[in-house]
Amino acid sequence: MEAFIGNLGLGFSVALTLNNIFLCFVGCMVGTLIGVLPGVGPIATIAMLLPITFGFDPTGALIMLAGIYYGAQYGGSTTAILVNIPGEATSVVTTLDGHQMAKQGRAGVALGMAAMGSFFAGTVATIFIAALGKPLTKLAQLFGPAEYFSLMIMGLVFAVVLARGSILKAICMILLGLLLATVGTDLETGQERLTLGLQDLSDGVDFAVLAMGIFGFAEIVRNLENPETRDVVRAAIGRLWPSKDDFRQSYFPILRGTLTGAILGILPGNGAVLGPFASYTMEKKLAKDPKRFGRGAIEGVAGPEAANNAGAQTAFIPLLTLGIPPNAVMALMVGAMTIHGIIPGPQVMTKNPDLFWGMVASMWIGNLMLVIINLPLIGLWVKLLQVPYRLMFPAIMIFCCIGIYSINNSTSDVLFTAFFGLVGYTLLKFGFEPAPMLLGFVLGKLMEEKLRQALILSRGSFSTFIERPVSAGLLAVAVIMLVVALLPSIRKGRDEVFTE
Amino acid sequence: MTDQISSESEKASGLIKSSQELGAGLFLLAVASFAFWQALELPRGSLRAMGPGMLPQSLAVMVGMGGLGLILSSFLTKGPALERWSLRGPFFVFGGIIIFSLLIRSFGLAVAGPVSMIFGSMASHEFRLKEAVVFSVILTAACILLFKVLLRLPIPVIGTVIEPFFPF
Repeated sequence: MEAFIGNLGLGFSVALTLNNIFLCFVGCMVGTLIGVLPGVGPIATIAMLLPITFGFDPTGALIMLAGIYYGAQYGGSTTAILVNIPGEATSVVTTLDGHQMAKQGRAGVALGMAAMGSFFAGTVATIFIAALGKPLTKLAQLFGPAEYFSLMIMGLVFAVVLARGSILKAICMILLGLLLATVGTDLETGQERLTLGLQDLSDGVDFAVLAMGIFGFAEIVRNLENPETRDVVRAAIGRLWPSKDDFRQSYFPILRGTLTGAILGILPGNGAVLGPFASYTMEKKLAKDPKRFGRGAIEGVAGPEAANNAGAQTAFIPLLTLGIPPNAVMALMVGAMTIHGIIPGPQVMTKNPDLFWGMVASMWIGNLMLVIINLPLIGLWVKLLQVPYRLMFPAIMIFCCIGIYSINNSTSDVLFTAFFGLVGYTLLKFGFEPAPMLLGFVLGKLMEEKLRQALILSRGSFSTFIERPVSAGLLAVAVIMLVVALLPSIRKGRDEVFTE
Repeated sequence: MTDQISSESEKASGLIKSSQELGAGLFLLAVASFAFWQALELPRGSLRAMGPGMLPQSLAVMVGMGGLGLILSSFLTKGPALERWSLRGPFFVFGGIIIFSLLIRSFGLAVAGPVSMIFGSMASHEFRLKEAVVFSVILTAACILLFKVLLRLPIPVIGTVIEPFFPF
């Protein structure tokens, strides 16, 4: 306990320097901004801002980038409530009851409750990370290559199970991502693989280039095709502070949502996206009168909002303790860390304690800032939502171009991004969801390295993955998850969760 | 340029039950074959000591098998038809990006910004020339201020072609 407080103390002493408070503020503001704007996600934004952070110290850089990520979750719900469009993927469920509340003139209450739920969840998640960091790091030190490999397999299986639509397609996307990760110079022999003789590919495909192409440009083209109708709520936003009754109805949903979100967020394979769905389903099941859901039930806003914020933060746990990025945003964090010479993994906590604890503490500060800066700014966000897409997308385009160019001062990177944008658009047209591909790509290099190491140690025998108990356990979980997801009855339920 | 090319979408009855799945499968198969062909000359090594070719080749085979699976299922189970592909969006958006990459070094952001943005803006059906020109010039100025002046990114504002004409 003493060490726990000492560590958090260290964290706050780092996070509360003027410089870091400022960066945290900037991150939260940018995050909220892009969260509010539908069609601009945290992935493209972080990729875009990566070059700006080159000049910062690593702690400051990560504090800002983390702020963008959880700020986006926050801003996403504002759009969900006011416009009935999820600003971010995780705020899909908030549109159900949040927008109904807004139509009834209770937008302010919905926004206020979402903010408070998120803040509570953020606080708990911060403590969660601080408490779980140490033990998980210890666990990670027991991991050999075989265990790492199996853990990543499990993560990929989770990503498949959590993806929308056909399971076969999701598996194909993961494999394609893994294949894409093999492009570049071979780790051991230094031979060039699949580079088509292009000098620019000898270091492999840059993750920021791939992410920006697929989540920045392909999305723009996609959005242009389906012109969205934005019905910004015209009713008054109303008061922000929820009534006693609202609070009474929301206590437990927030508590349950936080817990669900925090636990799902830790899972490798982007479990965080499942949090809000799980929370919503749970609240609906537990409610005395489930019919109220979909008609402006405050529990349907409070629970999922808490879950999505908690999940967004605990998603840092696999990255900071095991060095495994559970989703694409975390993969960009890996990029930001390695640029500054920090290799993500269990050693971060011992070698760079100020970075680890500073980041954890900054998350709490950031959550506090979000509540304070956001509620008064709602009017501004509403104005921003009225900017038509025909002006917004060229702006996104130019920001992305400048960002990509600046990473390596390379024009061919910009061309590659356009190419991957086209690939992303093609994939969307064929009904593939690109997120699992990105995860496969992210884990690909590390997986290959661990697979090769494990097989060298076992003299080429695959049985090592089953003989080692931890590895076998992880693989068993993966197999069970996959089988369960393939069972017809569960499959139906899974589709329902996503279409609800 | 025609705005949209139609696909065989609505009348995908008969043998093929989901033209989207079929297209998806063929696409994967093509990608996998290409990757396999490219990786063919790399030494595979053995499981005990893997060579550089082992993983790319086996992954390409797996992707290809996934593609075959999708093709098979497109004949067996009913699914969505291929959506319409628009040409206007991709042409102007990706064209704008390519223009940016061609102009940035030689003409700098001051030229590449507005030109690529105006070209890209044409991707929208609601394109208005005057608005696009004004907006792109203002935004480029803002970008120069933000990225060059405030954040000091090494992005060229006036490129190598125009530079000689500016004596300062």
